[in-house]
Amino acid sequence: MIKYALKRSFQSLGTLFIVVTVVFLLMRLMPEEGYFGSGFEKLDEVQKEAILKNMGLRDPLVIQLKNFYIRLVQFDFGTSTTYRPNVSVNEIIKDKIPYSLWLGLSSVFISMIVGIASGITMARNKNGFLDKLGTLYIVIINAVPAAVYYLFLQLYLTKFLNLPILFDVDRPISWILPIISMSLGSIAAYAMWMRRYMVDELNKDYIKLARAKGMKSKSIMTSHVMRNALVPMVQYFPASILMAIGGSLYIESLYSIPGMGGLLVDSIQRQDNALVQALVLIFSAISIFGLLMGDILMAMVDPRIKFGNSGGGR
Amino acid sequence: MKLKTHDRLVEHIADDLFEFANADTDNSEIAGYSNYSYWRSTVQVFLKNKTAVLFLGVIVILLLFTMIQPVLPNQKDPTFIHINPETFMQFRNVKPGTEFWFGTNAIGQDLWARIWSGTRTSLLIGFAVGLFEVVIGIIIGTLWGYVKKLDRIITEIYNVWNNIPTTVILILLTYIFRPSLSTLIFAMAITGWLSMARLVRNLVTIIRDREYNMASRCLGTPTYRILTKNMLPYLVSVIMLRVALAIPMAIGAEVFLTYIGLGLPVQIPSLGNLVNEGRVLMMSQSLRYQLFFPAIVISMITISFYVMGNAFADAADPKNHV
Amino acid sequence: MTSINRTREPILKLKDLVIKFNLRGKTLTAIRSASLELYKGESLAIVGESGSGKSVLTKSCMGLLDANGWIDSGEIIYKGYDMSTYKVEKDWLKIRGKEIAMVFQDPMTSLNPLKTIGKQVQETLELHQKYLNKGDAKTATYDLLTSVGIDNPEKRYKQYPHEFSGGMRQRIVIAIAVACRPEILICDEPTTALDVTIQAQIIELLESLQRVYDLTIIYITHDLGVVAHVADRVAVMYAGEIVEVGTADEIFYEPIHPYTNALLSSLPQLGVKGEVLSAIKGTPPNLFKTIKGDAFAPRNPNALKVDFLHEPPMVQVSPTHKAKTWLLDPRAPKVPISENVIRLKNEWGSSE
Repeated sequence: MIKYALKRSFQSLGTLFIVVTVVFLLMRLMPEEGYFGSGFEKLDEVQKEAILKNMGLRDPLVIQLKNFYIRLVQFDFGTSTTYRPNVSVNEIIKDKIPYSLWLGLSSVFISMIVGIASGITMARNKNGFLDKLGTLYIVIINAVPAAVYYLFLQLYLTKFLNLPILFDVDRPISWILPIISMSLGSIAAYAMWMRRYMVDELNKDYIKLARAKGMKSKSIMTSHVMRNALVPMVQYFPASILMAIGGSLYIESLYSIPGMGGLLVDSIQRQDNALVQALVLIFSAISIFGLLMGDILMAMVDPRIKFGNSGGGR
Repeated sequence: MKLKTHDRLVEHIADDLFEFANADTDNSEIAGYSNYSYWRSTVQVFLKNKTAVLFLGVIVILLLFTMIQPVLPNQKDPTFIHINPETFMQFRNVKPGTEFWFGTNAIGQDLWARIWSGTRTSLLIGFAVGLFEVVIGIIIGTLWGYVKKLDRIITEIYNVWNNIPTTVILILLTYIFRPSLSTLIFAMAITGWLSMARLVRNLVTIIRDREYNMASRCLGTPTYRILTKNMLPYLVSVIMLRVALAIPMAIGAEVFLTYIGLGLPVQIPSLGNLVNEGRVLMMSQSLRYQLFFPAIVISMITISFYVMGNAFADAADPKNHV
Repeated sequence: MTSINRTREPILKLKDLVIKFNLRGKTLTAIRSASLELYKGESLAIVGESGSGKSVLTKSCMGLLDANGWIDSGEIIYKGYDMSTYKVEKDWLKIRGKEIAMVFQDPMTSLNPLKTIGKQVQETLELHQKYLNKGDAKTATYDLLTSVGIDNPEKRYKQYPHEFSGGMRQRIVIAIAVACRPEILICDEPTTALDVTIQAQIIELLESLQRVYDLTIIYITHDLGVVAHVADRVAVMYAGEIVEVGTADEIFYEPIHPYTNALLSSLPQLGVKGEVLSAIKGTPPNLFKTIKGDAFAPRNPNALKVDFLHEPPMVQVSPTHKAKTWLLDPRAPKVPISENVIRLKNEWGSSE
């Protein structure tokens, strides 16, 4: 078990290293105006060269890369250029994380509970009315672009439920709509997978044996089917919880929530290279770490994994 | 009781029937189970799904209509700004009516024409992405499965790639390469090939190692026959599903990227641009039609493709043929 | 082998059972009027090709038919009650595990991979016997594991199915089946998925459990070797019907039905070096269609004309032996006994 966790962590570290390097190299392909901030037009070529040189962007690539790694190890993500010029990325992010985290976590827990409960209900009433209703919901949520139904939720729910349109930290009532919007997609995902895994389990031979030995359908559902169907789901719990830090790009900017997701959208629109780079790296790192945690958790829940050497990926 | 009635019957049976029939037992093979055809069963199962058939109809009509719409009579140019000949002002925010069926937008362009032009753009992106995914996926998947030396490397690449959220890759690529039609297609295709490649790789290993295929090979079945009979049906259904699902995904991604400022330039009518333009005016009740019309068309397209793709995948699964 | 007590009432009696399934919108008749008696303490083997309805027949005795299947007519009498009228799960819960238990074909998939062996066995014990505390149930589980030949039960209790070999898993499945001392044990191809060496051990285990717990066992198998070894009586099934029933000796050495004959002739053990192995030509009939006459006629090289037109009656040959074939009609011509059957009698008959 420990050996597996170590091996898997090492693998994640390697992935992180590759991602960091690739993102760095890709960012070097960017037009350089992203590094100057406002007042870019007033600078002449010599001044630009001087600034770039000063920033270390004229050093050989290997040196740049080395310096980049060193700064990253110290959790130094550089400074913003256009979003809040010369403020360190860490400083900017510090204020943003709590908003995304609290909204994200509320949404994750709501979707887990509602989604898994719906999935169970659907599997138990397979091909019944509730199953069809749930499937309809899943199809609509999966097919219609989120960007479209978010707008309609904002448009109509604010009106019918008399909720505020914009987010305000001090008014918890303004949290409701963003949380609902964020949860709809993941509820559909949890419900779909839970239903699918349960239906898969229901077709397995050991269910026949459990029936033959005289167990009630209800007990089979709870002590065999649900339990086994939850195991593959568990793998994605840590990632979804951790990803809450990243917030939702769309929701945050739609409701003007001062969170991480909105920050990425803003920094893209203002072409703040340093901030975009930092956020992309943070989001990737969170995802890599989340999937690592998921695999380790999975190995703890599923006794079969300790002996195999498979892991990583999904 | 049953035996009694039988006894009575027995006596009525003519004696000459108790002779050997000398029937040819070889014929009994034909009398056995019905001859099963993969594609016929697939089509049968699909046609049984009434909703899917309905959506297939919607798709066919939509596709035909978007293609012939520009050459139909009385169609306007999607980018032409209409000027009122009397006031010499632009026809701004004209309500839907006989002249402008879906009304005009904030600068006087015909919304009807823009929606269909946008649909063409989005479908083009969708099909291109689907096609790229399939081509890249098949090439990489085959190499992955067949060339033992590449297996480790590609598996590692897959693991790395798979650990990064798709959205991040999409944003990073469109940000770096500046939004344009080809950038969008490239960015979406490069995030989508993964699952296709893995599917193909699994297929290849199945072809190589699965017992029924080994048995088939031992019996002297030529490779091309194994490929066409055992692999092709599955591959074709996977491709159909990927292309069908690539369209709603591409449309969704395009709308999303446009929203965060990484979409197509505003001059190109696309569904994302239309939604974005509509969103700005959403809070004004009288202008809401500029959001509704694109939203309805988008939902119709995405739902149709999604449902049809899934229904086809179900129908193509031999497990559902029984 | 236990002798058959014919004077005793059968413990389980199937009467003109018809079972149908709905598939692809069409109705398939899986069991076409089957009648069968099972006597206390005996071992009955049901043999036949795949798809002949062996499994369906026994599953119906436990209410385990798939959701698209139903008992169309007929009766299943167990201890005086007609189980074919049971509609709700509650009725069947009194039967399953406690009165009739089942061992499935594939031990690799019959156990829940995510639960310890001990939990899965104990679960069964706790279902039907109310234990005062967990400790008693655990001790009972250890005893049960020991009785099916699992050493070191305390350690094994905590292990998961993937830590066991196929044969060991089948022992666990058997332990689960006999946990509640059922009257009848149905073994659905209990050894098919196992190694030949393990097969013998499992059969031995079943025989010893039969003695200890006074079990009545139904073996479903297409392995005639197993049948010859364990069965007191044999029922031969073809296309959803029982075509011949008799004691093991009667079926093996005096087979009457052409299908039984063909089945015995195709035993690989009887093959003579250099000769082509005998096989039954063709495929079983399509159960979606109504079958006219004798279902086996199209594959029977010696079929009579009447076989294609009229369904043969079930005729009693001896108190224990009956067959459903026109060959038993006085007007029918004599069909010579197959060489293979004679060889079988010479080879196996002498050693018994």
